[in-house]
Amino acid sequence: MAEKTIPTEEQVLARVREELAAIKVPGAEDAQMDTQWSELDVDSLDLVELVKALEDEYGIQIHDDELKPIKGVGDAVALTIRLAQAQQA
Amino acid sequence: MTSVVVTGRGVVTSLGEGADPFFDALIDRRSGIADGVGPASEFDPERWMTPKEARRADRFAQFAIAAAQQAWDEAAPEGLEPERGAVVVGTGVGGLETMERNTLAWLQEGERAVSPMFVPMMMPNAAAGLIAMRFGLHGPGWSIASACATGGHAIGEAKRMIERGEADLVVAGGTEAALTGVCLAAFKRMGATSREGISRPFDLRRDGFVMGEGAAVLVLEAEEHARARGAKVLGRIAGYGASNDAFHITQPDEDGRGAVQAIRAALADAGAEPGDVGYVNAHGTSTPFNDKIETKALRAVFGANGSAPPVSSTKSAIGHLLGAAGAVEAVVSLSAIERGLLPPTLNLEEPDPECDLDYVPDGPREAPGLEAVVSNSFGFGGQNAALVLAGA
Repeated sequence: MAEKTIPTEEQVLARVREELAAIKVPGAEDAQMDTQWSELDVDSLDLVELVKALEDEYGIQIHDDELKPIKGVGDAVALTIRLAQAQQA
Repeated sequence: MTSVVVTGRGVVTSLGEGADPFFDALIDRRSGIADGVGPASEFDPERWMTPKEARRADRFAQFAIAAAQQAWDEAAPEGLEPERGAVVVGTGVGGLETMERNTLAWLQEGERAVSPMFVPMMMPNAAAGLIAMRFGLHGPGWSIASACATGGHAIGEAKRMIERGEADLVVAGGTEAALTGVCLAAFKRMGATSREGISRPFDLRRDGFVMGEGAAVLVLEAEEHARARGAKVLGRIAGYGASNDAFHITQPDEDGRGAVQAIRAALADAGAEPGDVGYVNAHGTSTPFNDKIETKALRAVFGANGSAPPVSSTKSAIGHLLGAAGAVEAVVSLSAIERGLLPPTLNLEEPDPECDLDYVPDGPREAPGLEAVVSNSFGFGGQNAALVLAGA
């Protein structure tokens, strides 16, 4: 469902942690904004599942070419908020 | 030629995990079948792998990993050169549960509902790949699919791989998790499964097989490799024979021609005579066709009752594990030799005049000095594998 308001960093971070935990990524609960995928052993297949969860949650669309620079939690949170803002504009 | 020995065994079935507890259950005449199926209900994947590994593996691959880990722990292959370690683990049908769940999601919700893990979970070679990753085996690796003969073919082809000098050690076996809606319905529609839900091989009232699930994996080694590292040798894969019925896609050749050819080839490969064989672990599915034709084939190879060795069917206790069956039954055959004990054929109460061999219905039976066992596996597609297992 699309959100009416733009989510905060804390909200998206919490959603990222929740999804990483749902796909059984070890250490998901402790992920911080500066945590890189390499530290969590998150691979491209995990990323596809995370992206789908964020798209569904915030009513956004993340294109494949936007995925490449996403190297960690902070990148995913920032991209999600940017796309949600663009959606509202 | 290089002799191929067994140094590790692993089993997952409806009668529990581990080669020894499983054989104990067979000897106790226990059955893993309930409500017409033989599910591995006590299997907990997270005992064997991390939650993330478990989530990313279909049940058939989870079974294989658990069985492979047991076999690896028993073999404890220290000092193996990674390039000399191989994997041949097959499955009859692969990740059916994953296939069904994603197909339904795709039909109902479209492309975005399909999991990115669909292919790596469903593909039949997933189990072999995950096992290679787990143990760092960089030699050859693949999966075999010959329906219900898969496990026998996998062990036989692993034997060949060692004989050709391509590997010192091969993790080999079969796995199956096909107790899914579509698969159960399909076998029922074919008339292959028992309407009564009873596995009673060689009994006059038999009306089809009962589906089970599970896996068995062996660690096979070149004998000199195993001896050099001081490994305990548990038995040997003495012979392997394979053939095609080239007759019908599901029915066995009426004369048992393909079965006879595979058994004779396995005996020749082992350098054994029919008279050397003290026990046959039958394919024994409990279908009207198989048990009659397998009996005919055994008579052709070994002679009539009195001259033919005792025969029993593991499927009477755990059902038919399709691609895992041949591997599970190889483990049973090795245990029978080690313990000098023949497991029974359960539920055989009304003899069929066309099945006139000694099926050990009242077993277990002591078989001191048992040295060689034939284990049969015949698959849909007309593909047959026979193994000769021998003592250490």
